[in-house]
Amino acid sequence: MTLGLLRRHCFRLDFQAALVSLRFMRVLLVEDEKKTAAFVRKALQVEGFAVDVCHNGEEAWAAARTTAFDAMVLDIMLPGRDGLSLLRQLREHSIATPVLLLSARGEVNERVDGLNAGADDYLPKPFVLAELVARVRALGRRGSESKPAVLQVADLRLDTQTRRAERREVVIELTAREYRLLEFLMRSAGHICGRMAILEKVWDYSFDPGSNLVDVNVMRLREKIDADFEPKLLHTVRGLGYVIKEPS
Amino acid sequence: MTIRTRLTLWNASMLLVALLATGALAYYELVIEPRSQAQETPATLKGDKQPAPTDLVEIGIFCSIVPAMALALAGGWWVMRRTVAPVTALTQAAEQMNEHNLGAPLGRSGSGDELDRLTEVFNAMTARLNSAFTRLREFTLHASHELKTPLTVMHGELENWLREDGLTEEKRGRVESQLDEVQRLAKIVDSLTLLTKADAGQVVLGREAVRLDELLREALADAESLGRPSGVTATLGVCDPVTIQGDRHRLRQLLLNLCDNAVKYNESGGKVTLDLRRAGPRAEVRIGNTGRGIAAEVLPKVFDPFFRGDASHSQAVEGCGLGLSIARWIVSAHGGTIQIASEPGRWTTAIVRLPVAVHPNQ
Repeated sequence: MTLGLLRRHCFRLDFQAALVSLRFMRVLLVEDEKKTAAFVRKALQVEGFAVDVCHNGEEAWAAARTTAFDAMVLDIMLPGRDGLSLLRQLREHSIATPVLLLSARGEVNERVDGLNAGADDYLPKPFVLAELVARVRALGRRGSESKPAVLQVADLRLDTQTRRAERREVVIELTAREYRLLEFLMRSAGHICGRMAILEKVWDYSFDPGSNLVDVNVMRLREKIDADFEPKLLHTVRGLGYVIKEPS
Repeated sequence: MTIRTRLTLWNASMLLVALLATGALAYYELVIEPRSQAQETPATLKGDKQPAPTDLVEIGIFCSIVPAMALALAGGWWVMRRTVAPVTALTQAAEQMNEHNLGAPLGRSGSGDELDRLTEVFNAMTARLNSAFTRLREFTLHASHELKTPLTVMHGELENWLREDGLTEEKRGRVESQLDEVQRLAKIVDSLTLLTKADAGQVVLGREAVRLDELLREALADAESLGRPSGVTATLGVCDPVTIQGDRHRLRQLLLNLCDNAVKYNESGGKVTLDLRRAGPRAEVRIGNTGRGIAAEVLPKVFDPFFRGDASHSQAVEGCGLGLSIARWIVSAHGGTIQIASEPGRWTTAIVRLPVAVHPNQ
């Protein structure tokens, strides 16, 4: 009987997770700059998100109170009520929608203030659009995402417990940094990883330290995982970043 | 009271005292003494045992000349010193003044004299300079902030273009090259914002205990990977364990920046060496590299924003020309010094000295 209940419970969880991934993710975009709002909206729609746009804090507050969004992209500098105070108000009213903050000021302390106010992520302007899309996707997945111990793309396998990478049974030696880089790229397989995201996740930099560290490390990683094998998995998306994906 | 009045009054009073004294002496010598001598001559003839009271007065007057002169000197010195003190203060203050403390006015005596007025004018001048500096900083901050919005729009539009189907290879290449330029511009704007904010003291740095030797080992790994494409090898020499108080991320940026330069301005197959020594209260980091080096006459300019050595070389090296300016800011924000030594044609070394934490375990 207990087992039956447990099984039914598990089934319901699975079913809910499936529902979340099936329906459109609904995103609220709060940005006063019309052109920025337009291209962000377009990019998010192309990715299959349903996007609502507000141009000021008051509108956004009304929208967030009446509709349940899966994620919210919030500019800090807004006419009238600014993004941070709106965010605090949302959290005070127990609206837990994951929030990605955008800011043109790009101060390190502002990032900390934003995260303290209840933001889930922060992106300074000017940003790489692909990066923003990837982060919004990650926000929507939050909670429902599972972290498999073994990552696999085509015949490349990465065991995150033994920290072993192999391709077609050939073990690939990686430095600590290369391992973190490969893990990050493989966890977001199929999606572009921007330089900023890589610097943040692999090198723990919250700002661009001004070096082509990412590029040389990706090049080295590519030599190790792609040079002796076909098909090539690690691709450069010029101007945007890098992606690991199976050839379609 | 003005200084002119004060000095005139002092001189006049001294002159008056001197005149009075001379007058009194003359009156005594010419009027009183002859009269009393005429009366007392027979008495003096009787015996020379006692000097006459008139002689006593004379001796008294002569003896007081020296103390009177000393008094006049001391008084004059005191008056002059009081007068000149504000000038000394003004000189010292002007010596210590730089673009960061222009806002602090000098203390005024409030006496309303010429020097008080000079201090007032000096304060007004520094206030004007300060507002000019502030305006310049604010202008740069606003400009870089305003540039970010169009840059965001341009970047986003270009990215959306790249997503569109049916883009020919040639057009794709053009869009990608535009994207590269927009990113370069964004990087410059970012660095400029950082430097301007740092200059205005608006960047808050963390203060935690940081193991400098660990950061240097990490920088070694970064230098190795940065140098691999051009065959540059990096080695770690001395690495004393040192803890300093500071901002971990900025210190990492500093070391990465210096390693990046050491690789960039190297020759292919060259060497980068990293050292960390503890010398008393200071930690000394040396990051050296082989290569063409820097000519002595341009060495003082390498920390200037946008300075890139000679034009022929700058074409081959990427970067926005603000790296060393940022490095210098990070070092001075940690109370340290940075210098670059070079022997043209052979090597270049960046030497960073940072104060060691007093209580390394805290």
